[in-house]
Amino acid sequence: MSELTISRRGLLAGSALLLASTALPTIGFAQTPKKGGRLIVAADSEPRNLNPAIVASNGVFFISSKVVETLAEASFDGKDGLEPRLALSWEGAADGLSVTFKLRDGVKWHDGKPFTSADVAFSALQVWKPLQNLGRTVFNDLTAVDTPNELTAIFKFAKPTPFQLIRNALPALSSVVPKHVYEVGKIEENPANNAPVGTGPFKFAEYKAGQYYRLTKNDAYWGKDEPYLDEIIYQVLPDRTSAAAALEAEEIQLAAFSAVPLADLERISKVPGLKVITKGYEGLTYQLVVEINHRRKELADLKVRQAIAHAIDKDFVVKTIFLGYAATATGPVPKNDPQFYTADVPTYPFDVAKANALLDEAGYKRADDGKRFALKLLPAPYFNETKQFGDYLRQALAAIGIDAEIVNNDSAAHIKAVYTDHAFDLAVGPPVFRGDPAISTTILVQSGIPDGVPFSNQGGYRNADLDALIAKASETLDTAARTELYKEFQKKVAADLPLINVAEWSFISVARDTVGNIADNPRWAVSNWADTYLAG
Amino acid sequence: MNRLRRFFCTPEAVAGAAILASLIAMALAAPLIFPGDPQAIAGPALLPPFHDWSLPLGTDRLGRDVLAELFHGARTSLAVGLAAAAAALLIGAIVGTLAGFAGGLIDEVLMRVTDAFQTVPSFLLALAFVSIVGPSLGVVVAAIALGAWTGPARVARAEVLSIRERDYVAGARVIGMYPLEIAFREVLPNALPPVLALSSVIVAAAILTEAALSFLGLGDPNRVTWGGMIAEGRTVLRTAPFLSIVPGVALVLTVLGVYLAGEGVVESTAVRRSLS
Amino acid sequence: MTRALPLLRRRLVGSIFVLLIVIIGSFLLLEAAPGDAVDAYIVSTGGDAGMIELLRHRWGLDQSELTRLANYLWALLHLDLGQSVTFSRPIRDIILERLPTTLILMGSATALSFGLGSALGIYAGARPGSVRDRFLSIGSLALYAVPGFWLGLVLIVVFAVDLRWLPIGGIETIASAKTGLPRAADIATHLVLPVSALGFIYLALYLRMMRAGMAEAWRQEFVLAARARGLTRRRIVFAHVARNALLPLVTMLGLQSAQMLGGSVVIESVFAVPGLGRLAQEAVAGRDTPLLLGIILVSAVLVIAINLLVDLAYAFLDPRVGAGEASA
Repeated sequence: MSELTISRRGLLAGSALLLASTALPTIGFAQTPKKGGRLIVAADSEPRNLNPAIVASNGVFFISSKVVETLAEASFDGKDGLEPRLALSWEGAADGLSVTFKLRDGVKWHDGKPFTSADVAFSALQVWKPLQNLGRTVFNDLTAVDTPNELTAIFKFAKPTPFQLIRNALPALSSVVPKHVYEVGKIEENPANNAPVGTGPFKFAEYKAGQYYRLTKNDAYWGKDEPYLDEIIYQVLPDRTSAAAALEAEEIQLAAFSAVPLADLERISKVPGLKVITKGYEGLTYQLVVEINHRRKELADLKVRQAIAHAIDKDFVVKTIFLGYAATATGPVPKNDPQFYTADVPTYPFDVAKANALLDEAGYKRADDGKRFALKLLPAPYFNETKQFGDYLRQALAAIGIDAEIVNNDSAAHIKAVYTDHAFDLAVGPPVFRGDPAISTTILVQSGIPDGVPFSNQGGYRNADLDALIAKASETLDTAARTELYKEFQKKVAADLPLINVAEWSFISVARDTVGNIADNPRWAVSNWADTYLAG
Repeated sequence: MNRLRRFFCTPEAVAGAAILASLIAMALAAPLIFPGDPQAIAGPALLPPFHDWSLPLGTDRLGRDVLAELFHGARTSLAVGLAAAAAALLIGAIVGTLAGFAGGLIDEVLMRVTDAFQTVPSFLLALAFVSIVGPSLGVVVAAIALGAWTGPARVARAEVLSIRERDYVAGARVIGMYPLEIAFREVLPNALPPVLALSSVIVAAAILTEAALSFLGLGDPNRVTWGGMIAEGRTVLRTAPFLSIVPGVALVLTVLGVYLAGEGVVESTAVRRSLS
Repeated sequence: MTRALPLLRRRLVGSIFVLLIVIIGSFLLLEAAPGDAVDAYIVSTGGDAGMIELLRHRWGLDQSELTRLANYLWALLHLDLGQSVTFSRPIRDIILERLPTTLILMGSATALSFGLGSALGIYAGARPGSVRDRFLSIGSLALYAVPGFWLGLVLIVVFAVDLRWLPIGGIETIASAKTGLPRAADIATHLVLPVSALGFIYLALYLRMMRAGMAEAWRQEFVLAARARGLTRRRIVFAHVARNALLPLVTMLGLQSAQMLGGSVVIESVFAVPGLGRLAQEAVAGRDTPLLLGIILVSAVLVIAINLLVDLAYAFLDPRVGAGEASA
């Protein structure tokens, strides 16, 4: 019953008790993995490209990670937080110029052809480096992949590249696709992008647009006795309330990625036969961040940014908007990160009086109507919680005399407004922490990024010290020294507030009691589900 | 006077008028009873109704006072309905009058444009328009009007076609009035009553369309509307049903009120017309 | 038939202009949108400047607006709806896949609201001003005033979750490999709730129109004459009053077809029905201009065809209607 963690951070006492009581009946239940069965899962969106080697995103992984495997997967207790998948071991050279992977023997693609180092070389050089959304940055200096034999792949880099970064990037960025399928024609237009072929425990069987995706068991899977399930079906449920209803009606057995709204969890945890699971997303931490446009004269003033930070009641945000399923943030690295996080940073406790004083000091006195100045606030529309936080932030700013007007855009318009047109003063964004600050975190504050790059510093912030620190960390090979630099990075960001980190959250799964072995790794929802089973 | 008496003879019309009157009272009283921002956080989140008498209808997901939101929502919902209907009637009347009065090519072109608008589902048009321009109250009103003006335009045109040939129009021509002047000063006012009869339907539809747009996340987040409240409440439909029931009932009553009162007006005028 | 032909010809010529206005209008509207298909795409992926440029080029978004409109119209002349940027598939295939679902949903909902609405309308209008008349007309109005999505959610909670009589959504049991009659029955079961939600909303329209038409007809001379001839009340209701009141309802049927399609956007989303309405919403969100144009075009053709049928039916049913002014 390890997946029913009751001691989660920030979980409200009341719901913790509820969880405990619903957990009791199943504890005596014989949880011996059973073979067979069809697992039906809720899916709220339909990714248009299912190739995880090109699109490294959770929406794609949710489906494709069962079909296409990575070199390594995240793990709760493996060395460096990793466990082997297609690679058995990985070794970085001392000069940072190469990394050697020993590959698993006897692995076959779904079409029966053997998996070899040529596939890894092809994926890295032809797909990850030129085409992948995240790989284009991380594998930028990759120049060659040597394949001395069928089971060895040696990555060669033009510049010293920290092995720690490559290691941390493996779970999300290293999906291996078959060379023989992709070497003909344009990779982006290959039909396998919509019907992926991989080495994973499940084969891609069928996609009915607007209805479902179907995966079937791979009988020739390399894992002993795996997979347990015969079939996985992703049922498309576009409405946010339907996953809960479908679970209760026993039409689906699992709703991951908080498909059941947080506010419904307390009620649904009392429904017999259903369990609420908060584990299995530790490696997929989303951060609630206030993005700031430093081109605005008021916001370029550190005192104003500090005032805004003091005006936000982070505990209220965690308790009311996330209903306890989140943690307050101190800086750009989430608290649950085992390698880089430091609590030793300047903090901004909730203090409206201090915030008002700071604004007075900065010279923005209240006018006769009680207002100091007006701002445009753009909450990202992707999550209910980012929109609710936008509503809250508007109220919090009103308390310190800042009149914020919310601009409600759909996703495409939001991306364009914030990251291309810079038509915002404050924005609320949910960047993802991907296990290493260099993958997608430093880009949030670094300067010199071209216009139009999403989820990057488009607020016109420029800090030479910080840029130098980021550059230094990117070429520091020693793991301890590199980690230390990122601790320094957190301090600098928290002190100068290029953006304000408010909270960190992961997702919640709700499943029927019969679903076993869920949440057994930190990226469970996007891992391969080879050992997941249906009991009874 | 007669008309008024006839209006008050039908219980439906009276009920409709009563609902509308209390609604308008609510809208007017909102800033007096609940001064300040109705979206301000007033208490603990998800407080059920009738538990705390300072927050009689409870609070929503963020702890905002549902009763205050309901009152202020009456303002915006009514404003959206009335503004959208006024805009739709105005556009419709102008297009219809021009088409009917000018005839020929202008008529043909205007009516094909009307056809085009009638061919595209108005909700789809509103959806696309709001997603593209960005949701604010004015845009929502424009989007609704964009899909609603065709009905009034057709009615106005039909009416103008029959009025065009009447004596006083011919008279106006004889004394040398400009065609546009005739169209808008002589013909339009006489063509207006049947066009106005459509207003209650349009107001009701506008309020419902605003709600549906809010459901899809396309409401103005800076204002409280009932549609927005229902849309927000639906994620907690099972946990806190009152959050969507309270504004839902208000919405149903309003649409009913608008409809019944509108029908009462139309019927009382219709009887008068058939008598005269 | 001779009477209908000029009407048909006139309508067809007019329709081409209407379609042209619709296409160009929608195209311009979508072009004015902030953010394009690439912006919508990178929401879920992120990516650097080079990748974004690559995508814009691959999807042809780096061409000028005029070039793309011209290309689109040129392809359309060859009955080619183009390629969807979000699905990377021919739009014709995507639409053909969804169209039957929407047609079944809309057809059933229209049948429900028209059938039940006019039946109840006759029942109510047979005795204008009676208690049942008032009750039905206000009750149906209240249904009309309920937002469709809310009605849908409540129906799901009651009939799918609590009672478990019906499935919560979708169009058929997933991956069930049913065929023939069992499949049809399966689809029918899945459609009960969405059709009810959509149909009950528009019920009021037909009910009230029928009822009003009947109230009007009761006052007409031929009804008085029928009464004077000593016909039974039942006979008068069906043979004279209701029959006369039915005509405007037929016109309404045509006018409503476009609105029904709009209403199905929300209902399809609530009930996870893979139809055109939901596809349109996805096309707007994904800024998939050619896909949205395709959907609007197909629905416009659909609406025009339905209205044409209605006009023809009308021309046959009512001899007073001259060609041309039928739908005014």
